Amino acid sequence: MSDMDRFELVRRGAKQRDDVEIVHYAPQFAPGSKQEDRMVRIVSFLFIVSGLLGFIFVACYIWWPFTDFPDVTGWEYEPGNSWSKGFTPILGLTSGGALMVVGLAVLAWGKKLLPHEIVIQDRHDGASDPEERKLTGATLQFMGEEMGLKRRPLLKVSLLAPLGGLGLAALALPVGMMIKDPRHPNILFQTGWSPETNGGKLVHMVREDGVTKIRPEDISVGGQITAFPGIPGGVTNKYADSPVLLIHLRQDDADKLRASAVNYPINEGGMAGNLVAYSKICTHAGCPASLYEQQTNRLLCPCHQSQFLITDNAKPIFGPATRRLPMLPIEQDEEGFLRAKNDFNGVPVGPAFWEKPEA
Amino acid sequence: MVSASRRTKRRAIAALRMLAALVLAGGIYALVSPGAQANQPGSLSAAAQEGRALFNNYCITCHGNNAQGVEGRGPSLIGAGSAAVEFQVETGRMPAASQGAQLGEKPPILKPDQARQIGQYIQELGGGPQIPFTGEQTPAEGNIAHGGELFRVNCSACHAFSAGGGALSSGKYAPSLEGSTDRQMYAAMLTGPQNMPVFGDNQLSPQEKFDIIAYVENLSSDTDSGGWGLGRFGPVTEAVAIFLFGMVVLTFAALWIAGKS
Repeated sequence: MSDMDRFELVRRGAKQRDDVEIVHYAPQFAPGSKQEDRMVRIVSFLFIVSGLLGFIFVACYIWWPFTDFPDVTGWEYEPGNSWSKGFTPILGLTSGGALMVVGLAVLAWGKKLLPHEIVIQDRHDGASDPEERKLTGATLQFMGEEMGLKRRPLLKVSLLAPLGGLGLAALALPVGMMIKDPRHPNILFQTGWSPETNGGKLVHMVREDGVTKIRPEDISVGGQITAFPGIPGGVTNKYADSPVLLIHLRQDDADKLRASAVNYPINEGGMAGNLVAYSKICTHAGCPASLYEQQTNRLLCPCHQSQFLITDNAKPIFGPATRRLPMLPIEQDEEGFLRAKNDFNGVPVGPAFWEKPEA
Repeated sequence: MVSASRRTKRRAIAALRMLAALVLAGGIYALVSPGAQANQPGSLSAAAQEGRALFNNYCITCHGNNAQGVEGRGPSLIGAGSAAVEFQVETGRMPAASQGAQLGEKPPILKPDQARQIGQYIQELGGGPQIPFTGEQTPAEGNIAHGGELFRVNCSACHAFSAGGGALSSGKYAPSLEGSTDRQMYAAMLTGPQNMPVFGDNQLSPQEKFDIIAYVENLSSDTDSGGWGLGRFGPVTEAVAIFLFGMVVLTFAALWIAGKS
């Protein structure tokens, strides 16, 4: 059968079986013409480039140094420029390039080397054939009955189990979030500063190493330090809600804060000299608010730009936070070390929750 | 009987004693009471006198005569110390061009040695924190790993994990630490310029400051793989950037392909 005959067959088949009429079908370039040869060369060149890039990818993956080892001593990361810094980029460039070029090749093939054709297909009118619809309905019904739920009641009942179980599992998260954990009823109200965590003794303020106690003179005027509860595990995530920012205010700022405590009596007497400690946990979403501006006495939260005015009992003055940061009342012990008088005066730290008392 | 020669000898000794007592008293007076003379050029060291001349040229408009400050223009510098002066002048923040939310870094007007001279002048006027080394580099090698820990606890909140800086309130910002010298970083920690908190030697010992500086220097000496650090914020920005930019590029590429065919 010659090529012409095959095309005729295809055309007739499309017309009779699928109602598709081929009205125009012609190659873009004359077969064997110069332009066609050129196009073929371009497409095969692109394929070869793509394959080459693929080989380069594999070669780089194997032989490109991906760490400075063994050029430097041991597995130590070495800053600065080195061949190893190019490892990831070269893999990305070669694999991405290979994929892009193969895409271009296929595109060029389809656009330039395949013949142009115009075909016409009539649209069907209205709904499907009634006979066909009947057939499809019967098939679906038959399949449903063949599952045999009517005849096998045990299957029907036992199917309820996964339905119920999975339904409950899906509900567990949204409903569970609204229930207070009955095994830790105090978890939202008690932090590491509570004497209960320290065998009834008042909790000292320590640095990030968990043992170095803090004295007032450790912090310069206009300085701040992050203090943790000096209890076992006080610097771990177990007490992630406990860190406070201990700030050494200037004399006039400290006077301003002391004077403003009348508007917020729960904080009265909470300062040790000119030092004041506020919870570091933002009352909006619980981020660590520790960007302290020592001139304006504002404390910023980096997550949503809430700002708290330290000299006005950490009142929120900008951003989404609506509650003040709780103050940790502090004092000096006999040896001069700072410790918490109580657990944030009973004010819960962090973001709001339903049972959170007004404060 | 006392001989004449013995009497003259005793008199000579008495005279010597008197002289010694006078010298001692005068010396003690000179040591103890320099206050009245402190502002006179005569009692300043040579460097401080140079600094005084520079101060009277560049700083006096806002910081006033004898650095006592001018109400509404500039604060008193008594007790500011040479570290603060050196930091502000060396980074070009001072002399300030205008008042604003924050005085940013700009090309310095005065040279580093001139900054040190003004610093010396302010130091001799009223004392204050000083940088405990003379070179541009820290005198002791810092422990990068420990410095990293300290940086993350004390500095990263404002200056970001990668020391790239970040925004503060009302137009203020924490500057990037890239390009800062050891000396500038040490001075900044010691004095707390503008809204930066002060990190005194009781909080971060000089060695701990060296550790932090070593860590920052290590960060800045590194290159960004792929060429563009995207503020060195890490994988989140990188993914957002590739997603947004990549999506836009792909969309336009798809449109172009569709338009061509």
